Amino acid sequence: MKSLGVVTLVLLVVPIQIVLLDRISIAGIQPDVALVTVCLIGLYRSEVETVLAGLAMGFAQDLFSGGALWGNLCVKPLLGLLAGLARRNLVNLTWTVVLALLLGLSFLSGSALGVLKSFTGPSVTFFPATHGILLPQTCYDALLGLAAFTLIQRVGLVPRSANGPH
Amino acid sequence: MFSLHSIAGGKRAFLLFLAVLITALLLLPDSRQTPLQALGRHMADAIAIPLHTLDWMNQGVNGLWTRYGFLQQTQEENVTLRQDLARLQMETVRLREAATETTRLRDLLALKERLSFPTVSAQIVGRDPSNWYRSVVINKGTDDGLAVDMGVVTPAGIIGRIVKAYDRFAIVLLLIDPNNAVTGLVQQTRDEGIVEGTEQGFARIKYLPLLSAVTVGDQVVTSGLAGGFPRGLPIGTITKIERREADLFLSAEIAPSGDFAKIEEVLVVTSPRESASLPPMPFPLQPQARREAGNPR
Repeated sequence: MKSLGVVTLVLLVVPIQIVLLDRISIAGIQPDVALVTVCLIGLYRSEVETVLAGLAMGFAQDLFSGGALWGNLCVKPLLGLLAGLARRNLVNLTWTVVLALLLGLSFLSGSALGVLKSFTGPSVTFFPATHGILLPQTCYDALLGLAAFTLIQRVGLVPRSANGPH
Repeated sequence: MFSLHSIAGGKRAFLLFLAVLITALLLLPDSRQTPLQALGRHMADAIAIPLHTLDWMNQGVNGLWTRYGFLQQTQEENVTLRQDLARLQMETVRLREAATETTRLRDLLALKERLSFPTVSAQIVGRDPSNWYRSVVINKGTDDGLAVDMGVVTPAGIIGRIVKAYDRFAIVLLLIDPNNAVTGLVQQTRDEGIVEGTEQGFARIKYLPLLSAVTVGDQVVTSGLAGGFPRGLPIGTITKIERREADLFLSAEIAPSGDFAKIEEVLVVTSPRESASLPPMPFPLQPQARREAGNPR
């Protein structure tokens, strides 16, 4: 049943990101909901599930992206895995930890995608790309992820046993 | 019968006398009733005070009640009117949206009729899921005859080209993406170059001859030499010319004709080679170009 929920989430997240997220974009920057979802799955579910979810969401994102390389397909499962490994080594999942984790993972993902984009076209200029895309998106992703994490904790979507360390 | 003894003395006798007197006075003709009338006038004046007060109170209570009832009714009417207003506002928004859509579609249809090569109309259903690429998702795919590298246009000018085509949708890489390249031609000088997107969301024409007489405000159109576009479709207007001494070529910044943030419907050029050239003026010229058209170099 839980796996079915994860599959439903995977199927819904990318279409939502493509169709609806443009409406909440700030200065043309929209959050990467797939990244946030993969990281949160990594925090609450097993590594295998997270990697599979990351693969599915990354693949779906690349299908709808104008990019020629399968950047998201490579990056998303890796991020999920990193989130899962981080969770394994954490005793307490506090909001500061989640915020720091999301900031780090989003920055890593953005940097990787920027480098990958340079392979297929003119190289991405570091400073404009960093302050124009990378940093705003990192902050946006982290805040969105933190809001989702708080909601999950408050509503109790995840059973208490899942909140403890693996 | 009553006994005379009982009414002879005391108050009863006085009362009887008074009654007889009043009756007698009342039976007198009008002309003889003046003292009575004078007395009555004063009495009426005295009575008028409480009468008016009571009337005022009555009217007040009555008015209060009526107003309360009226307020009740007004409140109900207000609720109904508010509902009507909300409904009408929704209706207005819907109609305004429909009118805008009609205008857009009419422009698109007019363009479709003006163009002499086959096109497929499509709607934009989404944007790129990442912030690194500038692309849109359209709701037509290979099932509708679309394929990779086909050009996409709007009534304002070219928008981009298809980079991925699936059965029911396709991905269009916008002209302003740095990964996109289209062959362009400066309309006034006839110099050809490559139009690429920039990271700032503009476009740039590169490889123009160093001695080109290109100036700011010149129109750039598709050259039709390569890619999915026929010759003569508007790309944009030159806003800045970059001349560097060490460079062998000129490059110029272009403000694209289309507003990429607001595109909703597009035409995909499925076969740019079916027609030799565009009919005269398929697109309305920009003011600068209109001036230049009257005074060709």
